[in-house]
Amino acid sequence: MNLQFNEDQIDALREFMNVSIGAATASMANLLDAFGTMHIPKIEICNSDELADKIQNSIDIRSMYFVIKQLFTGKFGGECMFVISEDSSINLGRHLYDIENPSFDEVNDAVIELTNILTSTIVSRLTQELNTQVQFFVPSLQFLDAASIVSEEDVGEYSKIIIISTILDFKDKQIKGNVYILTKDEAIASLRGLIDRKIEEIYG
Amino acid sequence: MNVIKYPDILLDSLENGHMIIDENYTVSYWNRWLAINTQIDKEDIIGKNLEDFYPDINYKVLHRKIKTALTIGTPTFYDTNSSKKFISINRNKVTTSSLQLMQQQVTISPYIISENKVMISIYDISELFETKLLIKKEMNKVNKLNEKLEAEKEIIDKNIMIMKTSVNGIIKDVSSFFCDSFNIDRDEILGQNISIFKLDDVSDVIYKELWTTIKNKKSWNGELKYITSKGQAKWFQSRVMPILDIHGEVHEFNAVYHDITNEKLLAELYITDSLTKLYNRAHFDETINLIVKNQRKADSEFILVLVDIDNFKVINDTYGHQVGDEALISVANTLKSSLRDNDLVARWGGEEFVIMLKDTTINEAKVIVEKIRANIENSIINNDIKLTASFGFTKYILGEDSKEIFKRVDDALYEAKEAGRNRAVLK
Repeated sequence: MNLQFNEDQIDALREFMNVSIGAATASMANLLDAFGTMHIPKIEICNSDELADKIQNSIDIRSMYFVIKQLFTGKFGGECMFVISEDSSINLGRHLYDIENPSFDEVNDAVIELTNILTSTIVSRLTQELNTQVQFFVPSLQFLDAASIVSEEDVGEYSKIIIISTILDFKDKQIKGNVYILTKDEAIASLRGLIDRKIEEIYG
Repeated sequence: MNVIKYPDILLDSLENGHMIIDENYTVSYWNRWLAINTQIDKEDIIGKNLEDFYPDINYKVLHRKIKTALTIGTPTFYDTNSSKKFISINRNKVTTSSLQLMQQQVTISPYIISENKVMISIYDISELFETKLLIKKEMNKVNKLNEKLEAEKEIIDKNIMIMKTSVNGIIKDVSSFFCDSFNIDRDEILGQNISIFKLDDVSDVIYKELWTTIKNKKSWNGELKYITSKGQAKWFQSRVMPILDIHGEVHEFNAVYHDITNEKLLAELYITDSLTKLYNRAHFDETINLIVKNQRKADSEFILVLVDIDNFKVINDTYGHQVGDEALISVANTLKSSLRDNDLVARWGGEEFVIMLKDTTINEAKVIVEKIRANIENSIINNDIKLTASFGFTKYILGEDSKEIFKRVDDALYEAKEAGRNRAVLK
């Protein structure tokens, strides 16, 4: 299976992602009353066994993290992962519940809510750009140390992974998190097909 | 295209709860599952406000989630692990009591966006959640056991000498304490044969006995002398155990060692003459008394030899005590090198030595004693001093006590001295 992307495909994907990230930033401002920025997304195609290192290299390995994973399926399927440190999560809980000391349950729910908005907006917008639909599954939440976020054994069965990553930053609220959209093997091929169709549609 | 004519019936037949509310929480649909599980009939709640029935819901959060679903057009979710329930529903499960209330997965999906209506779906995930709790509980137990095992493994590793070998004696693993005791890196010895620790001066009989025992699937206990990487000989009380596979065949050997080098050195000091390094009189006495006491024929076939350096007082007086000591050491070395491994030689006191020639006939003894006499005569001390020695020897007679044989050998030595020294007399 050819899992390589040509330059045009990467450019198009980057452009769709920029639009999606913009939509997510607007959603958060509208729904959470939080005005943040999101970095220009980074798109990488790597071997599955490199994923753990790539995630660990983008976060502070000394912190504990809330890790929320949400699956989506359709012609383009995959997994959205939001990684947010314990401190940022507590600040998010304070903001959303408007209390000084949110409980663990409240922090969990706040993190899930943010993930929901982020992933729904980004993925919905991306798939809208690609003229396809996706179904979202219930997000799962774990509280982990940096080394346990992704185990190499767990991803060992895939060959290639696309990592689309960005950083969400609400400076005034001291909330920062990393968003990863992960997709593998067949879904990569399918994504390539969708991008080609869209390029064809735009440029003829 | 087929259109479902009775969506109410469809929603009522689902095994989960569905309600439709607007952004002001006015209920416009309440399915059968909700009616049964909450004991609130649809007639009683439809058209009313959810807040009147469930005031404990955090409506600020619910409002935000409704807004999210309506704005983005995708479902939003509550945390499925939360201890706070969206609405409280009692569980009737009797056989377990870990969950009193139904654990719920709550999804808020956009229903009619133009009317700001959403559908709230409630799924019973109690069984799944209970399983998760059970796994977590069991995992905690496993982790605690693992921690305990690891701690105990570390204690064993750091305090007990253990070695695992293949059936062919190839070293498969060793404990840290083993490496420390042998001044060796673990990686250096893995894959090597156990024979690297073997000392040449240890009888093969011991190793043969060891291998025969363990290859016959039995444990072997005994003392082994090994050499460390620094060339130091060490004694170990050893237990070597065969490990059998599921077919009952020897799969590998495990050995546990205890360093007894210090005990061995102390024991040797106790029975050794400090100047000549021969056995001392006490050890010789103990050995001969044991033979006499047991009266075993196999042990009783021995010749007793008493050796006395001729004119030793003259050497001491002429050259001093240091040269006298050198003479004693020289004679001791000559005796040792002239005898067989199983003969016993000791310093009897002063310039006298005693020898037990085991399993020896009188004729053989004559040859051996003459050889020793000649060897002493031919040795030179301090570059120019020559020595001679006189010998008395006799065969042990079964049944006699040690005093009797010593009396006889003493007489023989006296006769040798009287006859002009540097000779041997048999009695």
